Amino acid sequence: MTKIVNLSIAALLLAGGVYLYADDDKREEHEHHRSTVVAKPLTPQEKATTALYTKECGACHMAYQPQFLPKRSWDKTMKTLDNHFGTDASLDQSDHKSIQNYLASHASKNDQVVDVRGAVALRISETPYFVREHREVTKKMVTQPEVKSFANCNACHTQALKGSYREREIRIPNYGRWED
Amino acid sequence: MKYLSIALLFSTSLMAASPEVVQYMNELSKTAKVQNSSFNGFDASRGKEIFTSTHTGKQGKPMACTSCHTTNLANSGKNSLTGKVIDPLSPRANPQRLTSTKEVAKWLKRNFMDVYAREGTAQEKGDVLTYIMKN
Ligand code: HEC
Ligand code: HEC
Ligand code: HEC
Repeated sequence: MTKIVNLSIAALLLAGGVYLYADDDKREEHEHHRSTVVAKPLTPQEKATTALYTKECGACHMAYQPQFLPKRSWDKTMKTLDNHFGTDASLDQSDHKSIQNYLASHASKNDQVVDVRGAVALRISETPYFVREHREVTKKMVTQPEVKSFANCNACHTQALKGSYREREIRIPNYGRWED
Repeated sequence: MKYLSIALLFSTSLMAASPEVVQYMNELSKTAKVQNSSFNGFDASRGKEIFTSTHTGKQGKPMACTSCHTTNLANSGKNSLTGKVIDPLSPRANPQRLTSTKEVAKWLKRNFMDVYAREGTAQEKGDVLTYIMKN
């Protein structure tokens, strides 16, 4: 529980690829001179796709940051939208294509992520990284009506919509702050 | 001529939807007539039954439109599967509602699947939209 709390948003967004933390770090070092100075501003096209993703994939739950799962996970999700965790989340062809591309281009680079059963992970909350991070969170904290399930990230992570999962921003309903 | 009178009926009685959605309902009405020759216009009371009755949904469990939208359409609802708040469905309470055919068609397809485990017919869709508009 002695973790660095103040991780940057960018680092957290690599969380899905945390298995390759070492590799990621290396790659980041490599790319440092190239990528730090000029963060390319989004083109109007990219802005529109982000907005589309946020609207469509944020209609029933928060729009999860694509960086939490690899491309093959998102591809599987997009292939099964008409039976998406027991609900129908199907999209028209054009939106489907844009969103699938958006997810693919922002996905975690760790394509080996499998869920706790060894299958291609559909749930962020079933990836080994996630399970490890949340092992001290009790069942009661999760199943209470104000949270319902781990899928409801923003019930506990107050800045989850912005992609920030810092410990000091955590407020668990009926429990409060997370103290180490 | 029959179509024309149905279309006219809509444009006068259903001002709670945008012209685009009124147009969509006119098309539903035409399809309903083709599918059922005794079809005689959409009906809010049939729509209410569609909206409030419970069925075995996609998950094999009892579901109703009201499971998520509640029985008072002017109030916010809550997604029964995820807990996320849903803004009111009534166009009077929420002027954004029933303004986009794309949105309406998308959600009717999904939500009928969730509640009825099948797509709605043209008549059912028109009936339930008529009910929503009156609330
Ligand atoms: C019609 C409603 C609906 C829409 C639209 C929707 N989802 Fe979901 N999603 C759900 C439900 C229901 C669950 C299961 C929630 C639970 O277990 O508490 C879920 C769960 C998920 C999970 C697993 C969360 C976890 O880690 O446990 C992911 C990932 C996901 N959705 C991605 C997406 C993506 C990507 C889109 C857009 C293409 C999308 N969803 C659109 C209803 C929806
Ligand atoms: C029931 C409340 C709860 C829910 C729901 C929840 N988390 Fe967490 N999360 C926590 C707590 C508490 C911690 C800190 C655990 C610790 O340090 O032992 C944490 C830690 C994390 C961390 C590590 C943060 C860090 O600083 O190292 C990430 C990333 C994270 N959660 C992402 C998510 C995502 C993504 C979801 C939804 C798919 C989610 N969480 C759902 C409570 C929750
Ligand atoms: C599992 C939860 C759930 C159920 C059950 C459900 N809906 Fe919905 N419905 C939603 C969500 C979520 C939205 C989109 C929310 C938003 O736009 O804020 C929505 C949107 C709609 C819209 C779109 C309105 C607009 O113009 O934006 C209509 C119409 C609608 N629902 C009708 C129905 C009908 C009819 C039924 C029953 C057959 C039903 N719903 C059952 C969750 C549900």
